[in-house]
Amino acid sequence: MADREIKKKVRSHTYRGRFTQIPIYIGKFFRMFVYLSDWKVIPMAACIAALVAFVVRSTFFVTMEGTIKGTLALTSVALWNGCFNSIQVVCRERAIIKREHRSGMHITSYIFSHMFYQAFLCVLQTVTTIAICMYLKVKFPNTPVVTDYFLLDLGITLFLITFAADMLSLFISCVVKSTTAAMTVMPLVLLVQLVFSGILFSLPKSMEKATHLMISNHGACAICALADYNELPSSSGWTMIKKMADQPDADPEIKAMVVTMEAEGKDEYVKRETAKSNFKEDYVKSYDNLTRRWAVIGIFAFLFAGASVIALEFIDKDKR
Amino acid sequence: MIGMLLSANIIAQLILIALTIWGYWVVFAKCEKPKWYSFIPVFREYQLGKCADRETDARVYVWFTAVDYGFNVYSILNPGWNESGSFLVLLVALIVLTCFFGTFIYAIRIYSGLCDLFGVKKRKLWWMIVFDNSILLLIFGLRKKYQPKFIYVDERDNEGAALSGIRADALEEGLTVNIEERTASDFFKKRYLLRDIHLNIQPGHMVLLLGGSGAGKTTFLNAVNGYEKAKAEILLDGNNVYEDYAKMKYKVGFVPQMDLMRTNDTVGRTLMDAAKLRLPSDTKGSDRRERVLEVLRFFGLEPVKDKLCDKLSGGQRKRLSIAMEYISNPDLFILDEPDSGLDGVMARELMEGLRKIADQGKIVIVITHSPDRVIDLFDDVIVLAKDSKLTGRLTYFGPVEEAKKFFERDKMEQVVLRINRKEEGGEGLADSFIEKYAEVCHG
Repeated sequence: MADREIKKKVRSHTYRGRFTQIPIYIGKFFRMFVYLSDWKVIPMAACIAALVAFVVRSTFFVTMEGTIKGTLALTSVALWNGCFNSIQVVCRERAIIKREHRSGMHITSYIFSHMFYQAFLCVLQTVTTIAICMYLKVKFPNTPVVTDYFLLDLGITLFLITFAADMLSLFISCVVKSTTAAMTVMPLVLLVQLVFSGILFSLPKSMEKATHLMISNHGACAICALADYNELPSSSGWTMIKKMADQPDADPEIKAMVVTMEAEGKDEYVKRETAKSNFKEDYVKSYDNLTRRWAVIGIFAFLFAGASVIALEFIDKDKR
Repeated sequence: MIGMLLSANIIAQLILIALTIWGYWVVFAKCEKPKWYSFIPVFREYQLGKCADRETDARVYVWFTAVDYGFNVYSILNPGWNESGSFLVLLVALIVLTCFFGTFIYAIRIYSGLCDLFGVKKRKLWWMIVFDNSILLLIFGLRKKYQPKFIYVDERDNEGAALSGIRADALEEGLTVNIEERTASDFFKKRYLLRDIHLNIQPGHMVLLLGGSGAGKTTFLNAVNGYEKAKAEILLDGNNVYEDYAKMKYKVGFVPQMDLMRTNDTVGRTLMDAAKLRLPSDTKGSDRRERVLEVLRFFGLEPVKDKLCDKLSGGQRKRLSIAMEYISNPDLFILDEPDSGLDGVMARELMEGLRKIADQGKIVIVITHSPDRVIDLFDDVIVLAKDSKLTGRLTYFGPVEEAKKFFERDKMEQVVLRINRKEEGGEGLADSFIEKYAEVCHG
């Protein structure tokens, strides 16, 4: 009888489940934001954004070439911010997680709390990046695609890139066992993201499919679509002609022709015609294209978060 | 001409294979291993590692060599495998290259062990680097002056002490442990980590868990609290810990050796979060706060409740680590070396605190490597030891004073020396005490 009563007593209690544990960890992470200097990622994001915006501001959203450079730079900033937000967060407290898991913590609650907290950091970093770009007078277009505001469209794009990169590094942090290993893997991941972004290098046919698996590729396509890349003038052809005309031994007739064309504003025609040859389907400014890119990046983020949960479920197998 | 070159290459390969087999053959002969092992690639590499007492390295070495052999066979069968230059080919080439370097590095480790085995200077490794592994094996195997200094024996293949055949009776209140075995797969082989441990502990008892390094103390505790399940029946107050683990884990408090907590949080918040996590979800907020305050007071942490954990002294941090588990008022409280890093006075204070917890009717099990300074606080002692099969076995369980008589020693540290293996500086009497304890239990 007594035996049955004891068993009943133990079984009658319920403890916090997956959802109710989430606020505990969100609270913990926000306290860490204050006490553990996590807030420093915001000024760091501002510095990086300032550096990049200062370099690309004159041609970003103005010419095709400038937009490509600006897109690459902005994507890199977002990737960098995201990756460094969470690359160490799990591996540095792995032993603590193991202890807490043993005491009843659900890994899903832990990762979801991280997603929430990291999303907060990513929003702050995105806002900071855009604010810095505005301060440095980057010439943003005023034709939005999805929402009613261009900056909101750009903000969502940058947020998603940052957040997906954040989740990728969260996953890496769940897999590796030490902060040193995490920091060793990180540059490699960034390098792969940039090489396979499809912007920096033209890749061989066999490797083109790999770009579809990159956050950087979809992020860059989204930014280019927003910038209406295909409708921008291309300055490379005209610059080449001018350089040829400026050569000391250049034909005087060509020199005169270049001067005339410039005076008559026909250089713009050359720039537009050159741009036609640079048309890219991936960069089409359309609702469908942009939302599809957002969806893919968002799916990446959730896949990485899911993979993080799976990776961390094995934490009990860690050696002492 | 090409045909001639090709056949010359095949002949060279065959000669190399023959030399390798011969090399292994003669080394295995000296190391008292079956000579036919030398005909089985990969397996022979593992056995060579064991001969050199480099078994851990050999486990990695075999994977690299397996890839190497596999790739060699594949490239012979498909000579134009790399002509497409595709991404897959690049990937395969990278993997093979990594394995090639891995094979080389691990070969150096294992052959370095062979140098030690045959008492040869390490510079002989140049033979291996410049020519081939087989040359070095032939040198070791054929020269009479090179004789092995030791023969590797895997002690886990020994017989071990006899099983007791005892079974602890289930207690209605208290802890009943009946561990048949706790095994692990170790490189395709079943290994016993713990075996034949049967005991029961009354509520209100503070128990010392004693044993040498690698005796299975932590494995035992993990098996008892259900964290790493064994083939066992663990009952706490009549409830099966394994069957009802999701609920029972809240009835067991486990304090790890390290003070694992987020040091950038305050003491109060850390404890409050632990309370939220470990107390039943229907606990009222006011009751939770009350419990946190009560625990803060009990562990003398109230004055520092608003301090960051980072700013606490070693003793305070240890108390907080214990408080984080104590918050849920567990019936079974397990502590892994709670006194590590504390001076004698602080360690004593801490153990007195644990005694108070036991006096509340709870079971407290403590691992400590300095038992004699606090032995008066314990009721019972569990002594674990590695038997000759390297399996963790129960050598004694019972009152402290009885333990001293059983082992014919006055100090607990001397007890550990009695059961520790000779190569660990002990007396190597584990097997005889395991069997003696079984006899005592049988009466």
